[in-house]
Amino acid sequence: MVLKADHLFLYYESERGIVKAVDDVSFELGERETLAIVGESGSGKSSLALCLIRLPPKNTAKFQGQIFFNGMEVMKLNEEEFRKKVRLNGISIVFQGAMNTLNPVIPIFRQVAEPLIYEFGVSKEEAKKKAVETLSYLGINPDMASRYPHELSGGMRQRVAIAMALVTNPKIVILDEPTSALDIITQANIMNLLKKMKNDIGTSYIFITHDLALASELADKVAIMYAGRIVENGPADKIFTTPKHPYTQLLIESVPTLRTEKEPRFIPGAPPDLINPPLGCRFHPRCPYAIQDKCNVEEPPTIEIAEDYVASCWLLGEK
Amino acid sequence: MTEFIKVENLKVYFPIRKLFKTIGMVKAVDDASLSINKGETVALVGESGCGKTTFGKALLGAVKPYSGKIFFDGIDINNVDGSELRKIRRRVGAIFQDPYSSLNPMFTIYRIVEEPLVVHGIGTPKEREEMVMKALEDVKLIPTSDFAYKYPHQLSGGQRQRVAIARAIISKPEFIVADEPVTMLDASIRVEILLLLREIQRKLSLTMVYITHDIATAKYFSDRIVVMYAGKFVETGPTKEVLRNPKHPYTQFLIEAIPDPDPRNRLVLRKVVAGEPPSLINPPSGCRFYPRCPFYMKGKCETAVPPMFQTGENRFSACFLHEVEAPPSKQA
Repeated sequence: MVLKADHLFLYYESERGIVKAVDDVSFELGERETLAIVGESGSGKSSLALCLIRLPPKNTAKFQGQIFFNGMEVMKLNEEEFRKKVRLNGISIVFQGAMNTLNPVIPIFRQVAEPLIYEFGVSKEEAKKKAVETLSYLGINPDMASRYPHELSGGMRQRVAIAMALVTNPKIVILDEPTSALDIITQANIMNLLKKMKNDIGTSYIFITHDLALASELADKVAIMYAGRIVENGPADKIFTTPKHPYTQLLIESVPTLRTEKEPRFIPGAPPDLINPPLGCRFHPRCPYAIQDKCNVEEPPTIEIAEDYVASCWLLGEK
Repeated sequence: MTEFIKVENLKVYFPIRKLFKTIGMVKAVDDASLSINKGETVALVGESGCGKTTFGKALLGAVKPYSGKIFFDGIDINNVDGSELRKIRRRVGAIFQDPYSSLNPMFTIYRIVEEPLVVHGIGTPKEREEMVMKALEDVKLIPTSDFAYKYPHQLSGGQRQRVAIARAIISKPEFIVADEPVTMLDASIRVEILLLLREIQRKLSLTMVYITHDIATAKYFSDRIVVMYAGKFVETGPTKEVLRNPKHPYTQFLIEAIPDPDPRNRLVLRKVVAGEPPSLINPPSGCRFYPRCPFYMKGKCETAVPPMFQTGENRFSACFLHEVEAPPSKQA
């Protein structure tokens, strides 16, 4: 196990009240494993990523829980230790829209080489060599390495952003919606690249996406998030074929598919407001199986269905 | 089947100006022809920047063509006087992508939905009220009397898009252009809005153009599909058949690139085509897909623009690979 998150909370302050973006989330990530965190917009999946790299925004009201990385208790490290032991070559992140955050006036290879030069004391020539190598692994020709971001297409810039995350050989790479701003064919190209990376490099990935189809392309395990909580977390093949939580079942049925004849269904209602989430199970107002005086009153227990497979629902029985 | 919308050799170019000189043209739509029957739903699919939104705007009369003609029920919409054009506008509705920016935040839902009636001078205030409530009921914003006096910020994305649909259908249009109407919505709500649109389309027997990059939704929603690449139509045909058996190489790659939620796809590499769509300022000569196409025929694809070849009943593909199958046809 490379990463273990235990009872994580991340609340934000807002004019209307406290936003409970991450509300008691626990999960584990194994060596060379890919965990997809799937949820709709506003379910807290990007906030969860911010917890893992300890970057709570300025308006944070509550940030607590335990994160173990390689056995280290990350939350106890001071800022300098955290930077050295975790952020530099432990956990890398490719933020959502990272391709638009490249520095427009610096050639791409230098942006990729930067951490090697300034943090690892690698010589400029060595760092350049490594940067060009990483870029070329990701499908950017060495003769393009001196280009500026504006000279590259969206797909190419996304590759540069991934190169920046990979160049320090991290143990874990967090990919936050790595293809959401890209066109379909470019997305397929980047997904192919991520699959190749997964086969070649012994890194663990946390793949954050709203798209179940993309999750199925890459994930060993899938965690489904709803309204700040993980409602189901287990092996990908189980989640996609025999989901246990009603939300997961309905979410899978709501995806229009290209290659099957099934008519998609929809989930009535909308995801709740994270300032005033519903009492009890947060999905109960939309759940067709909600049990009166139970689901709307008491929080569902987390049931262990099998090894490494949990779901939180009253239908699955009590503890 | 009667022909309702007819587009002939439509070109929409946007000039690029530097000081006072025009130094180039963005050829957003380049020689597109299409006819749509009454009651038909056509999905226009393509990647961003392929010109699909511009084509939709041209259908609405919101951008002027560089050349070519658009006929709405036999009337050339770019060659009529103002009063005639207003009459046509009454018969046309539009739904846009972003329900967060397409509704006036200062107006109540009632006023937003009523506005087309006021603009077109339809009905008395009393009649208009009935029509607004009926439209809100049609889009299932129930209880209507509650929703009517709310403001957009009090509604969720899905509810806002229902308001946009109510506004689009209130003047009883015969033709609707829906440009990415569900792209901004949450996954669990998307299908609900699409099914609602489909229900309304059937109930009012609307003719509809559904513009999207999401081919999987087009499958559930359209009778016919038109695939667009770099300003040109590359393939058209009945939706189910095109998806099952795409003919044009671009359509094949586009469909191959779309994943379904299926764990059997895990780590399976997809057949993809490298590169990105070309610039619309200087598109490749001949077939615009040739620089990326694995079936590129030297001396042919880059020299002539492939016309639409018929490849089956109501099926057309703009690719020289299909030249042998049938003589070129001008019409799609």
